[in-house]
Amino acid sequence: MHIIPKHQEGQIMRAKQLSDLLKKGDRVAVSNITGREASQVTEVSQEYCANIIGGWALGKGGQTIKTPQGSIHVYATFEELLRLTPKEKHPNKILIYSPPDAVYGEVKEILKYGAGVVDTLYIITEHVSVEVTAKIYRLCLAAKVNAVGCNTLGIINVHDHVRIGAVGGDTPEESFKPGSVTIISNSGNMVNTISSYLASVGMQVSFGISTGKDRLILFALRYFLLLAEKDDKTKIIVLYVEPGGTYEEEAIAWMRSKKFSKPVVVYVGGAIAEKTNVSLGHAGAVVDGKMSSAAGKKTLFDDYFGVPPYDPAKKYRDMADQAKSLSRGIRVNILHHIPQAVDLITQVLHIPKDSSNFRPLKLNPWFSDLRELGKELPAKISLSRGTIPEPYKSQYQQLRKGFVDTMVRQPMRSASRASANDGAVPRIYGYSLMDVMRERSFIAGLILYWTGSLPENQFEEKLAEMTLTASLTNGPGTISAQGGKLSASAGNRPHTAMIGTLASIGTVHGGNGAKAVSFLLDIFSKTSLLNPYDKSFNPTPLAYEAAAAFKKKKDAAKAIGLEYEKIPCLGHPVFAKKAVNYDPREQVIYQFIEGNGKTQVFLKFYHALAEALRENGATSRVMAVNVDAAIACVWLGLCWKAIIAKDMTTRRAMDIPFAAFALGRAAGGVGEFLDHQDYGTPMDMRIPVQECRSLTRSREMGKRVLGKGV
Amino acid sequence: MAQKITEYTFIRNFAPRYKIPVPRHLSENSTISEIRRSLEMWGGAALVKPDILAGKRGKAGAVAVVRNAQEAVKELNRISGIEISGSLPRGSYMVEMIPAEFEIFTAITYNSATQGPALTISLNGGVDIEEASNCVDADAGSEGENRKKITIPIDIFEGLDAYQVSDALQQLSFPQNLISSFSRVLTAFWDMFISTGMISAEINPWRITPEGKPFACDFKATLDEANYKCKIPGIVYPEYPSNVSEFEESMAGWDKLSHQGQAHVSDLGGNKILPLLFGGGASTIITEILDIEGGSPIFLSDFGGNPPYERMYGTAKRCFDHYLAHAKLLLILGGKANNTFIDITFQAIADALSDYCREHGPVHIPVIIGRGGPKLVKGFLIITQLMDQLQIPYVVFGPDSPVTMVAEYAAKLVNGTLHREASGNAHNTETPGGSDYEG
Repeated sequence: MHIIPKHQEGQIMRAKQLSDLLKKGDRVAVSNITGREASQVTEVSQEYCANIIGGWALGKGGQTIKTPQGSIHVYATFEELLRLTPKEKHPNKILIYSPPDAVYGEVKEILKYGAGVVDTLYIITEHVSVEVTAKIYRLCLAAKVNAVGCNTLGIINVHDHVRIGAVGGDTPEESFKPGSVTIISNSGNMVNTISSYLASVGMQVSFGISTGKDRLILFALRYFLLLAEKDDKTKIIVLYVEPGGTYEEEAIAWMRSKKFSKPVVVYVGGAIAEKTNVSLGHAGAVVDGKMSSAAGKKTLFDDYFGVPPYDPAKKYRDMADQAKSLSRGIRVNILHHIPQAVDLITQVLHIPKDSSNFRPLKLNPWFSDLRELGKELPAKISLSRGTIPEPYKSQYQQLRKGFVDTMVRQPMRSASRASANDGAVPRIYGYSLMDVMRERSFIAGLILYWTGSLPENQFEEKLAEMTLTASLTNGPGTISAQGGKLSASAGNRPHTAMIGTLASIGTVHGGNGAKAVSFLLDIFSKTSLLNPYDKSFNPTPLAYEAAAAFKKKKDAAKAIGLEYEKIPCLGHPVFAKKAVNYDPREQVIYQFIEGNGKTQVFLKFYHALAEALRENGATSRVMAVNVDAAIACVWLGLCWKAIIAKDMTTRRAMDIPFAAFALGRAAGGVGEFLDHQDYGTPMDMRIPVQECRSLTRSREMGKRVLGKGV
Repeated sequence: MAQKITEYTFIRNFAPRYKIPVPRHLSENSTISEIRRSLEMWGGAALVKPDILAGKRGKAGAVAVVRNAQEAVKELNRISGIEISGSLPRGSYMVEMIPAEFEIFTAITYNSATQGPALTISLNGGVDIEEASNCVDADAGSEGENRKKITIPIDIFEGLDAYQVSDALQQLSFPQNLISSFSRVLTAFWDMFISTGMISAEINPWRITPEGKPFACDFKATLDEANYKCKIPGIVYPEYPSNVSEFEESMAGWDKLSHQGQAHVSDLGGNKILPLLFGGGASTIITEILDIEGGSPIFLSDFGGNPPYERMYGTAKRCFDHYLAHAKLLLILGGKANNTFIDITFQAIADALSDYCREHGPVHIPVIIGRGGPKLVKGFLIITQLMDQLQIPYVVFGPDSPVTMVAEYAAKLVNGTLHREASGNAHNTETPGGSDYEG
């Protein structure tokens, strides 16, 4: 077995301690930091340990990566990063996220400009060619820089609460608590998995290391083991090993020769991959020697340990010389036996547990619905739903609270959820149209068609109907009424009056209802409101909060002379000069609700908001809650149960009030049309030429010479 | 999957370019008169070999000595259809027989002990590359006349020169009169290796004629597809027929389209569990458990690497189109991801499943899911919402349930389901156990 000569070893081992590979106070710079993965990992790392001082990406200089801990500056090159960063902040650790073809160039740049500053490179990039990896190895050796990877996921020093790379995913806190096990794994993902397994026997992690698993591994297992042996906090080492390479063979030879002092628990995976053509994303998982196969590595470790693989059925306590026989460690055949094997080692070698608070590994279904199958299977297989642990439970509740924007889609050219017709019975959401005609009203059918459910009572029906009535007209001068009149004036048929009316309403005229719903959804998404007619739900505090937020925004915008976004559907100038404003159409709806001894949370909120805005000085008077607000509130109330059950998208909830207004106003447009058709004179909507003003001066075209072109 | 090449590609495309001496050869498409003429020029005898991605061709009876044109045609036909270890040849070819005083084995491979390329020379031809690649100076202790094999590290920057080879050959007590010519061909071998982005290459054997002329008489190599050098203008690498299934071929083509998110699969011939697995390490472990526990996985897969939506949708769609109709359980399983956005992955899988049901009708098999990682809960909500809509039975596990136990459970569930079907929906007689299943 070839061992790197002593004189070279010193060069390879710039790190003297495991913590030299990463510790608190290390400053990290990230290559290609603006990349999809790099920027996301950067954000999580900053939140976890804030050790990234900057990054670079070609052509992206001057950009920033926003993190909760502040923005990270992006430089054009590594050289620029060094030049423009104060010396005390110069990075000693580099995280390389560049594309495969760019990695060699990046390493050369780093070694050229970072000499004496940079001590370790972590190359996350996958699919770096073996030739380039071999060159990087040589360059780093000459520069006395340690390189980890390629295809590493990084490293986490749990005691120092720092990581480099993506070990721990987006929740490193969750997977890693300080403890006495160092995990060294060919697979990055397995570092996390093994850590969470260990917690089931009260063991936690000192270092979590992803070595990478390309054909050549720049920082060999042997050196990781050497450093782990020196690490005082590490009492046990867990290895996750895959086929390929002779790193384990080399490491075992070294461990034997040095009488390695710490117990090792090892899992060798990948036997099945050897039978196939698949590379599993780990280029090194190509067997290149008898002892580099999974079977070969298992044999090597078993020989080193001197005991057969861990057997959960075996009574190890009965072994007379167990302490001696297990002092080197043991191999496991099944990954989830790792914690049991580690537990055994701790007992035999009297290694204290890291935590007394743990629960054994077991299946915990978060969601389960085996339907009919579940009733027919043995109960042991037909698992019932377990408990979702934190923080997922809160996330789940929060997401359930949220509303849906889209539904699962499918082509609907010949399909509808809203209607059906089997040739005899037309249906709306399953209800026979004739039944609706016989037993309910037009407005009930309309509510069904728009929301998917029939109104629960006549109170709701009446409310909805009032919104349509209120929308019929606001007098002949409104632009939508003008649409109907124009159509009559031009000699059209009544349906074009509807089109003319509808063409005259839009986001400015009539469309405020959608904005009001959006505004209300934003506010009420944070509440646990289930029933919009719930009298015990007091929306006043929400109104005061919203008023305060609005005033803050308004003041800030005004201070710098900017326009600010108004609250939709407030301040309709009907009685603009009075201290308290009312829209009489809205008042009818409001008083109908009150008169029935009921409440409508959204409309009540709007009234409280108008009061709150006057009280906090955002306005000098009580603004009118206009009829658009009333329409929006009524229909949001009708939709609310479907929204919180996620049976309705927010987009539909915003569209419905506008549709209600449009329906009422289109009908009103026909009224104007019929009136105008009977009593108006032809073309009377035309404005005489002499009454029209030009706002542009007249200009001459000038003369063109034919044949000269333009 | 790394591209592999064998002797026929080597003698046609590589050896002439790097001036590596090889026997003269003819393809199976040669005319009888060409064959006859060649046999005359080659001394009246030749070898017929299959162009196949399998070793031990001679031992399998797939290498024949032919002495006339009729015999040659017959053997070219026979050998082009011969199967070796489950592999079929692309065709057959005929090469000149090289009379030899002795044979030599050589290989160049990247060596994990020296973290760079290394050349192995053995005077005992026929040694496998596996035995050469994992050690340097393996028999360094056996100095003197008995030394038969040597491995020398090659400087990746400086390369291999004739002096280094000569020195190694001296140590092997190689015949002095042959050292010069053999050193030159070995440096040509290195030039080819490094210029074409190979990971490992083996010439086994070199046959040295009585006149002292070396000929490379068999060859195999693996190319590093991450190395641009292996993409050589004008060279189309061979595709070997039985090597990949239609599904594997479809997925390999799909995988090559993008480097974002891998789509690696390998058929295993199972008939129960359709596994969409994530993460190289986890995938292997899960598949091993499925295999051990009788889950009969249909293929081995690794779909990690943070696939974008379109990538994951296309991957899932291909898997469903090929196998969902025959599968007894769909398993979507991976460890706790570091980078992969689970909501994107699951939205894509959900859409592919929804589209599959629209095109092929409802799916009734159970779906078992186990996953952890960024945006997990949102991902779970997306996929459970779909399964509720489609009335598909399911159980979903988070990262607190060990992946290997979930795999074990999936195998037990599929076997329980099949047992139930076989026994005509026998009633459950066991006591309720809820979620206390512990593997």
